[in-house]
Amino acid sequence: MDIEDQEATRGTLLAEIGKCRACRFCVDACAVYQATEGVESMAPYGRLQIIKYLLNGMLDEDDPIVYSLYSCLQCGRCDRICKSKGQNLEVSGLIRLGKYLLSHGLVKGGRSEEV
Amino acid sequence: MEVKRAKLGKDLAKIVGTEHVFTDKPTSVVYAKDTMPWDVEEEIVPHAVVRPANSKEVSGILRYANRKLIPVHIHGSGTSLVGLSRPKAKGIVLDTGRMKAIRIYPERGYFEVEPGMHVAEVKKALAKYKAMLPVFPGSELVATIGGTIAVNTSAHGVDAALGKPGDFILGLEVVLPTGEVIQTGTESTRRPAGIDPTKFFIGSEGLLGVLTLLRMRLIPAPYFQPLVAYYKTTEDILQTVMEMYKRAIFPPLFFEFLDEKAAKIGYEAVGLPEPMGAVAMMRIHSWSKAGSEEQARNFLEFLKTGNPVEARIVTDPGDWDTIWSSRAEAGNYMYRLGMTFGSEISPRVDKLIDAFQEAKSIILNLDSYKGNEFISFGHIGAPTIHAYAFVRTKEIPNELKKAITIEMREKSEELNVKYGGCGGEWGLTAQRVSFLKKKYEPELYELLVKLKQTLDPNDILNRGNLQGWI
Repeated sequence: MDIEDQEATRGTLLAEIGKCRACRFCVDACAVYQATEGVESMAPYGRLQIIKYLLNGMLDEDDPIVYSLYSCLQCGRCDRICKSKGQNLEVSGLIRLGKYLLSHGLVKGGRSEEV
Repeated sequence: MEVKRAKLGKDLAKIVGTEHVFTDKPTSVVYAKDTMPWDVEEEIVPHAVVRPANSKEVSGILRYANRKLIPVHIHGSGTSLVGLSRPKAKGIVLDTGRMKAIRIYPERGYFEVEPGMHVAEVKKALAKYKAMLPVFPGSELVATIGGTIAVNTSAHGVDAALGKPGDFILGLEVVLPTGEVIQTGTESTRRPAGIDPTKFFIGSEGLLGVLTLLRMRLIPAPYFQPLVAYYKTTEDILQTVMEMYKRAIFPPLFFEFLDEKAAKIGYEAVGLPEPMGAVAMMRIHSWSKAGSEEQARNFLEFLKTGNPVEARIVTDPGDWDTIWSSRAEAGNYMYRLGMTFGSEISPRVDKLIDAFQEAKSIILNLDSYKGNEFISFGHIGAPTIHAYAFVRTKEIPNELKKAITIEMREKSEELNVKYGGCGGEWGLTAQRVSFLKKKYEPELYELLVKLKQTLDPNDILNRGNLQGWI
């Protein structure tokens, strides 16, 4: 991924996640959320917020972030809920993009990420 | 007072177990975010999120917080529309999500439920017993039963048809802000007469205690008959609501409407022909099928006196599903295309048209934003006016979002003061404290402060909500 693509990915993520109204309708659909007895950072809603606050500089890359994002099973159930009752976001795809940035070392978080 | 996260985490882990305490910042940010449209502020990101399993653990957390003077903010599902869910002070977020057991006792006429169970799940459990939960929020998929009773919200329901959910609470288990656990109320289906402390905690918005068990009467599931009515203008629907109350006609449990613009959007979204004007949709309830049919026929006759273009009982369930879903789809369209800034105006019912027209004028002449649209839909039979400023973009800076929110709140609350209402759905803190001060004598707000101080001398629970926010 060249720098232009990276910037485009960051832009896409921030614009798309910016649409999330934090309604949390997606959380119950998530098997990981259920398995953790309802921890919101282990739910689709939480993962989106974590990517957003990582990109806008409030969060630093750390183990809990990796744990949260990589716990996503990519089952897509959250996508269906968001399509019918939320903002029609491709939630699992956004989480996948966030993981891509992390795994390629393209996002560090903290002040250097402020947009 | 400086708080060390690691030490706090260890201390809380002694109460609830290591796996139920989170001191990482990502989890704290996720819990601090609510439905308010602006970002979480750095200064309120919690030190820790703690997830107790029972009243004993809640008690331990609150006793600890009092010793250390650390604020505790209660978290259900974070769906409040007036900022109740966002912490106002840096502290501990107490998530009720692990307390979600339900026990149904048909032979006793009640059920007991823990606060963290989601409303839709409670409804599913009660349906097996042919019982209805009298709680109807749009967020029922995720909203918690504890949160709805803590706000005592009837949400989409018409109060005059059934009452508030708190009317069906027989008793509570409450952990007081200082950690004592108390039981209130009765195990009989006959509620106590007189000074029953249960009532102090219903609708207390987490200021006076943490609800850890709710005992609620089983309500037989009613039969419903759906009606739809088309009108040339929204004013015709408002007039119909006013007439319904004036003539003392028993109201439907659900009496929703779509104004002209919302009707057009909603009907197009569900593939129905564009209506000529505004649409009203109602669900009449009764405890027998014959009764519901008779009431629906009677209500249809009443509707016809209000000169609708068309009014009918909808007999085909598929047709009704499509019509009813147009209301949600109108909202979805707006929420997806841009941003909405809402209001909750519940005027004296004989002033419904006046209040609606003034709300429309206010929204079309905002100082903080130019070029927004006006749209309205919702539970008009309650009566509640949800008047929305609709902005066709999501690209608005945080500060402007706050400015629009504040202007909408201040000006719509003036209508509540002018026309004798005070809401009925969203609660009276955190954003609405300024309204309390405007509407009532100063002694009323002072009374609330004294009540809070009496039960919570260190101002531990939901600090900032009673002080007012933004």
